[in-house]
This record gives sequence, structure tokens and C-alpha cells, in this order.
Amino acid sequence: MKNKILLSLVMLLTILFVFAGCSSGNNDQEGTNQTSQEQEEKEQAEKPVAKKEVLTVAIPTEVLTLDPAMHRDRVTETVIRNMFDGLVTRTTDMEIVPEIAESWEQTSPTEWVFKIRQGITFHNGEALTADDVAFTFNRLVTEGAVDGESSPRNGLLGPVEKVEATDEYTAKFTLTEPSPVFLAMLPFQEVVPKDYIEENGSEYFAKNPVGAGPFKFIKKDSKLNEQVIMERYENYWGGSPDISPVGNAQVDVVIFKIMPETASRIAALQAGQVQIVQEIPPDMIEQLEADSNIEVKGADSTRERFIELNVNKPPFDNVKVRQAMNYAVNYEEIVKYILNGNGEALKGPYMPKGFAYNDQIPGYDYNPEKAKELLTEAGYPDGFDVVIDAKADEKDVAEAVANQLRDVDVNASVRVWDYAVLKEKIAEGSRLMIAANWGNGSLDPTGILEPKFKSGGRGNFSFYGNARVDELIAKAMVETDSQKRADYWKEIQQIIYDEAPAVFGYITQELYAQRANVTNWEPSPDGRINLHDVGLE
Amino acid sequence: MKSIKILERLLAAIPIMIGVAILVFLFVRLTPGDPVDLMMGSAGSVSQQEIQALQEEFDLDKPLHVQLYIFLKDVVRGDLGDSFTQREPVTDIIGRALPATIELAFGAAFFAVLFAIPIGVYSAVKQNSITDRLSMAFSFLGISMPAFWFGIILIIVFGVKLGWLPISGRLDYGFNFPSVTGLYLIDTVLARDWPALKNAVLHLILPSIALGMQLLAVLARVTRSSMLEVLRQDYVTLARAKGLREFIVIVKHALRNALIPTITVLGIQIGVLLGGNMIIETVFAWPGLGRLAVDSIFSRDFPLIQGVVMIYAFTYVIANLVVDVLYTYINPKITL
Repeated sequence: MKNKILLSLVMLLTILFVFAGCSSGNNDQEGTNQTSQEQEEKEQAEKPVAKKEVLTVAIPTEVLTLDPAMHRDRVTETVIRNMFDGLVTRTTDMEIVPEIAESWEQTSPTEWVFKIRQGITFHNGEALTADDVAFTFNRLVTEGAVDGESSPRNGLLGPVEKVEATDEYTAKFTLTEPSPVFLAMLPFQEVVPKDYIEENGSEYFAKNPVGAGPFKFIKKDSKLNEQVIMERYENYWGGSPDISPVGNAQVDVVIFKIMPETASRIAALQAGQVQIVQEIPPDMIEQLEADSNIEVKGADSTRERFIELNVNKPPFDNVKVRQAMNYAVNYEEIVKYILNGNGEALKGPYMPKGFAYNDQIPGYDYNPEKAKELLTEAGYPDGFDVVIDAKADEKDVAEAVANQLRDVDVNASVRVWDYAVLKEKIAEGSRLMIAANWGNGSLDPTGILEPKFKSGGRGNFSFYGNARVDELIAKAMVETDSQKRADYWKEIQQIIYDEAPAVFGYITQELYAQRANVTNWEPSPDGRINLHDVGLE
Repeated sequence: MKSIKILERLLAAIPIMIGVAILVFLFVRLTPGDPVDLMMGSAGSVSQQEIQALQEEFDLDKPLHVQLYIFLKDVVRGDLGDSFTQREPVTDIIGRALPATIELAFGAAFFAVLFAIPIGVYSAVKQNSITDRLSMAFSFLGISMPAFWFGIILIIVFGVKLGWLPISGRLDYGFNFPSVTGLYLIDTVLARDWPALKNAVLHLILPSIALGMQLLAVLARVTRSSMLEVLRQDYVTLARAKGLREFIVIVKHALRNALIPTITVLGIQIGVLLGGNMIIETVFAWPGLGRLAVDSIFSRDFPLIQGVVMIYAFTYVIANLVVDVLYTYINPKITL
């Protein structure tokens, strides 16, 4: 009896193995995602019905939710934004253009009125009206509005108090105080269907999302930790008239596939199993560009990277030491050699592309002699020992910085941390030099100078505090006259630059790679992957 | 009698699980890292009210013993709480990931056993031959090769250069079979969807090899040494003296007795395969428990970490139990 069981088991295993072996040999007979042209032609010859065009995008981390209100995650945003449209959107040049909103008007410092475009439908066929817009934003700003939970996106909208639909196609936003960055934050807020959510609840909505974007969610086979599948929405209203082409999406099916390992993402691209890949490391560019099937594309990041200096602790409590660090580090060279030129060194605390950039700031040029002089004046003629704390992705650059600091007798070394642990150590104030980064998708100084350099700011790892800076930030954040606002921010930049609470660093180019047969796709500085206009040849 | 013993063992697992739950609960909270702060990311402005609202929502504002009480109260009801980052019940999230991990673990074990036993037996029978030396050198390589590196090599060779096999995920888009068990190999067979079965098997091959390689090496060595010992036993000599064919002697008389240590190792290793595949799941974009563990640790998603670790603990308990039960079938002298 037992022998029989054993025998049948062995036979089963053998059969399975032979089966697996055979299959790998004639892979192309009825597979499903062939990419080579030959296979496609064969397929088309065999089947009268045209095969669906599938575009697969590899993303590095999992999608947290499909409810636009319940996350603060860029990858999740990237995926969701293809199913949902916003009131406004951005071109790849970061210009804000109308999307669901046809036009808008600021009727008072704290009131904005949006005209909603007519004829837009959600994927369930219902018309999108001002009611949906009001519902969407009230859901974000009202505590406990999402099935009793609060949206973590409230802070992104700043002082929005409430939104009302004044008629079927007009929505009025009321703010508690003027917010100059209000419009800049709107491209990231997607409009959701009121009736659908009210009928089914937010939990159901998160699993069965319905939007008004170019692609509709396909639940079958979509799993947030594996892949999110969308099909073209045939009744799409066309998309922003300012971004051509207007009309339905080009490809039939879009798959966002989660592939956490960089090497695997790149291999999948080379094998033609995915068509667009995010987060290419700079040292892979050469190899990828050698492949004629692949194109590498870059977009300036909106994330600033610098090394923050703890101003509460010696030696960095001395401004001369902090300035000396800036003179001693040559970011131009680091960008050139470590990032293969894919980036730009910053002169001060703010990036040139943003609103109200102070172009009068000269920048600390690379000058080791001057650095040594300053160190001597500050009482450190023989330098000091210091550890630069970094996340794994900052390690290469931090090591180059440490190397340059050793040239001015500062004995720097690098320690790599799990960010969650480092963050706690930073908050305790026990770390000295921190290689940090901060994103600023709004392209307004508010998104970075406030959290990073205001006293007690959430990302203020240097513990920098300056009464004048705090005062100016408070003023700038409510000033609606854009000239005055720009002047405030420029003065703030100058003060921070002079007091140097950080070694002002660089912004990178975010690198993407695509198969050569992908048409009409450009990466965007805010990291969005907008697939509405993208086609496959 | 046996089933009562098995039931006893299962019941004994309950205090173990509760102990594990309390330990994990305390450890994740002692580890530095603030889940709410991490959730807010490092970008833009965040209001203080928002952070407080989230802390309240996750009960993180309550004292530790109150949090522990809430947690244990829910656990005994089978509720592991909601994930902080994904806002879904932890049991649902794990339920989605677990079948993928089980399928991969069994794929790897299948691959390992399939090759390890013939290699081990052959090496023992032809001890010190060139084949024996080669296969033992090969198994040495298998043990020492980092799984991460081996996985990438497999991807580059079979995915990129040869283009034979898919290198990520569990299934291509476009199949339509009902999900019953979540194990694609079983679901596709139930639905008699053979193209889908083939596609799922193809996806399983490379990650199974990468994950199973070390196990293969270990099992081959164990089988070889245990075969060597058994082959010297009197009853094997007797079987040969009876004039039985050498094949029958080796497979029927020797191998069955030699397999006991192999099964012990396999049983323990299945636990390892189910729990130690973070790297392979990451490399092959396999949506299983290992990746869930890694992601939840980095985002300090306390409920999810607790859930995943409890599942791991449970897996080990079950794997050990299964091995013990298997013993009794292979060697009737052993009882539970």
C-alpha cells in the first residue's frame, strides 16, 4: 500500500517535471505577453481578433491603497493618478493647466471658485458634477470623514476649510487664511464619486475604485502587493485640452507591476517583459544606453539633498565651521563623477526651478584653503572627527563628501542607517551631520524651507532657528501678493545661506528607462507617470 | 489515538502563539522608529493635528499596557488589527500573500527533493567516483552561493539572454480562472485552465530554483551520508545475498531507511523556506509573505509585523508537527 503511494507520488513528480521542461521549450505558442515583433505577428496571423495592447510599468514599492484620500505615498499617487483626474494637472514642464476644472477665479483672498467641465463621467457612467468635487475635498479636510478615519492628506491642502457646490458645475473653496500655494497642491488631489462612495462606503471604494481618469480599474488579478491592472475607459472625456493629444488613452491595458529589486526591474526591461522602469541607478546608464531597444530618460527631481549640521552641538554651533564645510565640499565634482552628471549642485537652500528662487546667492565655491582658514579661526586648526549619517541610497555621495572633508583635516566617516532608526536619533538631537533629503512637489519654497529651516519644523534636522527667518516664513505663508511673497522667501534664502545650517547639496535627475517602442512618454519632475498619451509601436 | 496526540500538539501551540504575540508586540515598540512620522514621508509640510489624529487612530497615544491589552483582546478573537499603511485588516493582507509564499516554498522543496535524492543516492552508491566528487563539490557550491546573487544570475541567463522564462510575478495578465485556494497550481487545475497552469508553472520555475538550491545541496549531502551508513547494514547485505536486483536493494531496502534524516531536514527546512524567502521574493517580485515582512518592518507597520511574525511562528510549529507525524509512517518504531 505504502509502496503504491510512493510510486504514484514519484510518477506525479516526474510528469510535472516533464511538463515543466516541455513548456519552457515552446514558450511562444500560447503565452500571453510576448513582446517581440515576430511573436506578435504570428499571434495576429493566428487569431482574427486583435490582441490587446498591454503596457507594463515596473514600480519599486507596493501600492498602499486605491483610495486617493488615504495615503501620502508617491508611488501610490503615480498609479492612482491614471484612474482619477484632478481639478487641475501639470504639464511635464510643471505648468498648472485645467483638467476637470474648466476655469477658476480667486474671488477673495480666501475664496476660490472653480467652473467644472460638463460632460465628464465616472467609470460607472455617472456624471461628474460640482457635488463630487465638494465631496472629494470635504472628505480630505474633515476629521473622520473616511468611514470614521481621517485622511492623511489634510495638511497638503493647507488652510482649506470647506468646499460647497454653488450650482451643478460650480464649486466654491473657502480657506481659513490666504494660501499662496493652494493651486500648486491641487494636481495631486483626485476627484472621487460622491454617490458611489456614499452608497458603498469607503472600504468598498478602496477595493473597487471608480474615477474619472483615462483608465478604469480591473479588479480581476489586481493585487496591491503584486500588480494593479487598468483598462482604457472608452467614455473618457479626453483629458486636459492643454496637453495634446486629447482623447481616449492609446493603449488598451496598463499594468503597474511591483518589482522592489532594481536589478530585477532592469532585467525585466531588457527581457521586454516590462516597458517603463522607474529609479534607474546612474551607474546603469551606460549599459542600458548600449541596448538599442532601450532609451534612458531623465527629469529633474523636486527633491533636494543636503547634509544638515546640528547647530546645537560643537563644532557645528560655530557658523564658521559650518561655512568651512560648505567651502570644503565640491558637489559639482560629486555630481559629475558619482551621479554621472545626472544632477545639479545647489548654491543655497533652494532649487533654481522653484518659485522665488534667489539668484543673487553666490554659492560657496570649492575652496579648501578658505575652509582651513575658517576652521583655524573657529579654533579647530587640526580639524575634528565626525560621522556623517546616511540612508543606504545616500551612501556613495556621503562617502565622497567624507573624502573631501579629510582634505581639510576633518576626519569624517560614514555610517549607514535604517531611516526609521536614524530619524529617532536625529529627533533626540544626538547626531551631528546628517545626509538628508526633502521632497517639494509644490515647487514653492513653502514645501521645503518651512519644514526644514523654521524653528521646530518637522524636517528641521539641524535644529536651526532664527527669529527673523521664522517671522518671514510666517508672513510669506499667508501673503497673497506674489511679489511681496517672493521678496520674503528671497530674504529667507539669503539668511539661511549666510548661516549655513547645512552643506547645501544638489538635486538629482530621476532616471527612467523605457523600451524603444514606447511612444510619446516623458518623465515628469513630480515623479508622476502619466500614461494617457502613451502608445506602443 | 494518533489524532488525539495531533490535537494535543495543536492545542499546545496556542500558548506558544500567545507568547510570540506578546514578545513581538513589545519588540516592535522597543525598536526605534515612529510609524506615523514615516508615513508622512520626508516631503512638503505636515500639520501637527494630522500627526496627532493618526496617532489616536492607531492607539499609539495610549500607554503601552493599554495598547497590549487592546491587541491581546483582539488576537484571541482572531483579529490582528488593521495595517497602518494599507488601512486593511492584517488577516486580509496576509491571506493574500500567504498562498504565494506556500506555492513558492513547495516549488522550491519539490525542485530540491527531485534532484537531491537521486544525487545523494547515486553519490553514495558510487562513493568516491568522479561523479560523487563532482556532485559533492556542486552541493558545496549550492550551500555557499548567496541566494540573491544566484537569483539575479538566473534572471539574466534565462530571462534576459535566453528569453525562456518569465522573471517576475506569479502569472501573466489575461487569464480568467476563479480563485479558490489562492494557490495557482491548484486553482488552474480545478478550473481545467491548462494554459494558465502552464503560465503559472513557468513563473514558478526560476524562483523555485533560486530558493531551493541551498536545500538541494543540504538534502543531497544528508541523503548521501545516511545512504552510506545504511548500505553497510546487514539487511542490505542479506537482500543482496537473496539475489535481489541491485536497484530493488537500493531503492526498496536501503533508501526507505536512509530517508529518515532527509525528511527531518526537509521538515525543518520547509519552515525556513516559508519564513526565509524575503530576498528571493524581492528579487523575483513574488508577492508573498517575505516581502510583506520586509515592507512592514521598514514602514514600522506594527500590526502587520505582528501578524507576519505570528504566521511564521505558526508555520514552524506546524512544520515540526508534520515531520513528527511523517516519522511514524516511515518508521513504525517511532510514536508521537
